Amino acid sequence: MRRSAPGGDARERGRGTAIRPHLPTSPWLFLAPGLLVVGGFSLYPFVSTVAHSFTDARTLTVGQFTGGANYREMLHDPMFWTGLRNSLLYVLGVVPPLVVLPLLLALLVRRSVPGIAFFRAAFYLPVVASVVVVGLIWVWLLDDRGLINALLGVLGFGRVGFLSDPWLLLLSAMAVTVWKGLGYYMIVYLAALTQVPRELHEACAVDGAGPVRRFVTVTVPAVRSTMVLVAALSAVNACKVFSEVYLMAGATGGPGGEDTTLVMLVQQAGTGLSGRVGYASALSVVVFVLTLGLMLLVLRANRREDR
Amino acid sequence: MPRDSRRTRIAQAVLAASVLLLSACGAPGPGGGDDSAEGAVKGQVTFQTWNLKARFQKYFDGVIKDFEKKYPGTEVKWIDQPAEGYPQKLSADAAAGTLPDVVNVSPDLAYPLAKAGLALDIGKAAGKYRTEYLDGAWQSQEMPGLPGVYAFPWYLNTGPMFYNKALFRRAGLDPAKPPTTYDGLFADALTMARNSDRKIAMLAGTPSIEDFGRYGVRLMDARGTAFTFNEPKGVELLTRYKELYAAGALDSQALTSVAESAGRKFAQQSVAMNPGSALDLENFKRDAPGLYENVGITDAVNNTGKANMYVQGLMVNAQSKVKPAAVALAHFVTDRQNQMAFARQVTVFPSTKGALDDPYFTKEDGTDATRVRVAAAKSLKTAVNYTPVVLSDQMKTVLRNAVARALQGRQSPQAALDSAAAQCDRLLKTG
Repeated sequence: MRRSAPGGDARERGRGTAIRPHLPTSPWLFLAPGLLVVGGFSLYPFVSTVAHSFTDARTLTVGQFTGGANYREMLHDPMFWTGLRNSLLYVLGVVPPLVVLPLLLALLVRRSVPGIAFFRAAFYLPVVASVVVVGLIWVWLLDDRGLINALLGVLGFGRVGFLSDPWLLLLSAMAVTVWKGLGYYMIVYLAALTQVPRELHEACAVDGAGPVRRFVTVTVPAVRSTMVLVAALSAVNACKVFSEVYLMAGATGGPGGEDTTLVMLVQQAGTGLSGRVGYASALSVVVFVLTLGLMLLVLRANRREDR
Repeated sequence: MPRDSRRTRIAQAVLAASVLLLSACGAPGPGGGDDSAEGAVKGQVTFQTWNLKARFQKYFDGVIKDFEKKYPGTEVKWIDQPAEGYPQKLSADAAAGTLPDVVNVSPDLAYPLAKAGLALDIGKAAGKYRTEYLDGAWQSQEMPGLPGVYAFPWYLNTGPMFYNKALFRRAGLDPAKPPTTYDGLFADALTMARNSDRKIAMLAGTPSIEDFGRYGVRLMDARGTAFTFNEPKGVELLTRYKELYAAGALDSQALTSVAESAGRKFAQQSVAMNPGSALDLENFKRDAPGLYENVGITDAVNNTGKANMYVQGLMVNAQSKVKPAAVALAHFVTDRQNQMAFARQVTVFPSTKGALDDPYFTKEDGTDATRVRVAAAKSLKTAVNYTPVVLSDQMKTVLRNAVARALQGRQSPQAALDSAAAQCDRLLKTG
């Protein structure tokens, strides 16, 4: 079949009015709104952040170019290393459970049994709840005199310092992140599981494979690309974690700042009337590089698996 | 034109535009504004308060109406900002050049704005009003290293200390004699922890910069250019607090405590003493009647004999287009008559001369409210603002983290304070 330009179609329809070929600027005019949004809200802030990271800018003063001074200062700032350690630990602590647990949950709730819709909604509920509300509820639960410690007391255990011990505090924040993210990734896996052919499971079952074997040999390979996606998304989110740690550990980032993360450091350094915008920008650039590095790492691992 | 050359030019243009845009951001810098406020009092004045609309709308509507009546041709646009994130809101407005004409600030918020040339020197523009205000209140608006006075003094407050008489009694302490000095506080706190088997803590938080001040620690050198809270007296205070923490006399979550969580612990009756204000008393009555029956009120402990004074001020934007009207409004809101009227709405205290001698602040009628008011007004006469105005949020975090490290035993009190003082000095110099 012969294909023709829209102008040609019009002529063929015999309307008698020739439509002029588009101007060279036409595509740009169509693209302009999108480009303006991307340029104004993504590209410019990014370029601005990188540029500021080489200055000593503060909230109310225009900075002078200081070269790599902010980056050198970072290397000698013990809080930076604490923040980097905690951000990396957060990724390690949060990504594996967020890759595995939602998949198991999805397998559980995909069955068509009476009342399953209630459980699907219940598992998804934390996703739509405000992170501030969720954080405060967990603070009350995990308080030294909260419900969980009261229950532990009834069972004869001593008081556990979920919110006073720096390591337990970090683990508690990770647990909240995992709990809050389960529902979202469960939905992603539910969508992926609908693509797994039922025949494969049936063939496996005929060959005598049990549920665990079928999970390992059929389900996991079939949803592997989704697992990579979940790993990448949860790693990026873990790298940028702020709210959970801020709400549970306080503005200082836990006792003595021991639970601070890189994004919390950005907030501490860059906000307020005396905010060190230059230093906070340098920290932001490090968070960006770290996030990008993690993404590339996950994608590279996936590519190697594909080979 | 070769493609590579065109690309290079486009990249250069983008870079040049970015640099131009970036260099356009930011405030004008010291001396950026004109300190004169001569001229006709007219035009629209924007007036920003800090979390006051919800409870005092009627009062402010009245003040604004009176001002507009006194100065025909003026119109006041009142904006109120929530308590949370107020410094962030100010910094965003200041950076964008959209700071209101008259702004409610505390001295620590006024300092960076004055340093950036965004606060009008009231000493120059409205020095004739100086005699109307208490000397201490006027001086509290002076900023180290800057030549002027950068806000009209507004209302003052000094936080009383609440204590739980029932918990005192149960721990074998005399509820009629709450501690008034730090030595008394430390002794009672250890008794409380011991006799309650570490179940009840005396305090919910760690020492703040105000505690260092009230303990008698010299916080900064005379010129306000270096922090000195790491002097032996500061180390001594931190060492005593470390003993309290180890003995369970501080709440187990004290290291991450904030005002809200400390208040909650006191309301839950797991902490025996907590600083507060008259507003808290109303909250106890409504939300924790069991506590309210047992709550005692005393002055905040101190070794200097001088209570801590919280000061609010009204700053005039140095870049305001209606400076005469803005100065007139800031003075009108802070004059004796309007400050007295405001003090009758809520337990705050006027910063105008002679106002604290008004019978309203000197005579008790047997109620808790007047008891708090009279005690606070009395202590305000000698009170000082211990918090150095140059102490930024970043510096407060540095000090809190150092205190926490010392209390946990990760650093000695001396090393922790030395490190904090050095970091704060560095932040001060680079600021």
